[in-house]
Amino acid sequence: MSDGRTLERLQKLSHLQDIELMIREAEDTKTKQREEEMGFTLQGLEKLRAAREKWRNQVDPKDLRVFDRIAKRHPRAIVPVEDRICLGCYMALPTSINPATADPDRLMTCENCGRILFWLE
Amino acid sequence: MAEPSRILNYVDERFFVRDLRAKSKDGVLKELAEYLSQDKDVRDATLVLEMLRKRESLGSTAIGSGVAIPHGRTLAIASIKVLFARHQKGIDFESPDGAPVHLFFAIVAPPQDRNNEYLPLLGTIAELVKEKKVRGMLMKAATFADLRQILEGWGDE
Repeated sequence: MSDGRTLERLQKLSHLQDIELMIREAEDTKTKQREEEMGFTLQGLEKLRAAREKWRNQVDPKDLRVFDRIAKRHPRAIVPVEDRICLGCYMALPTSINPATADPDRLMTCENCGRILFWLE
Repeated sequence: MAEPSRILNYVDERFFVRDLRAKSKDGVLKELAEYLSQDKDVRDATLVLEMLRKRESLGSTAIGSGVAIPHGRTLAIASIKVLFARHQKGIDFESPDGAPVHLFFAIVAPPQDRNNEYLPLLGTIAELVKEKKVRGMLMKAATFADLRQILEGWGDE
């Protein structure tokens, strides 16, 4: 799973999720107000939304379908793994899931919560 | 204002950058991401850089008086990190007052920080650098020990 192509696919999806989160926070009245009180400007929301659409076109359509399907259930569709724990549901991953032997054409997902795993070795 | 010394929980010697070399706003973001990537908690420097770039497209993180606080959340990081950097000559960072930026505090956080520390930390730093005296001291800080002294000492005054 840890070949360069897989890394690139995970990077693209992760960046898409980072943008989604940034948009959600900028749309959240409380967060927006707090940031503005600190002296920051958040006037480029439309620009950021446009960047999200542009970025979505950069993602492999198959990966995007998987991402969108999971994102309907979990706002964070892609999550990191630490010490073989999925940081989406905090369940231990079975030993059968291994980035070194995983099919490079398929995104690794958590068997428990279904989220995409950002996991490289 | 929360204690500025709390910032020290998130910064270490590697994250004290005395002189940035970049010659543009994007160059500064690249350099900041490179320094941050030295930490084992940073899973992917490319993602950090892209997040910082996107945050700037939402609005400049320069807040005037020669200060910018590039910040945001990214999956690429496992725990909150704060980096202090200085640019002697100053960089056009699209600051609201048009002044070049010399002082940078970069803050990167994971999508969910368990203790909800990110926004209060951001607020503490933003508040701290509003003090002219602090900015003056930060401009002169030559070592990480100097930065530590500034952050430890300021809350007591």
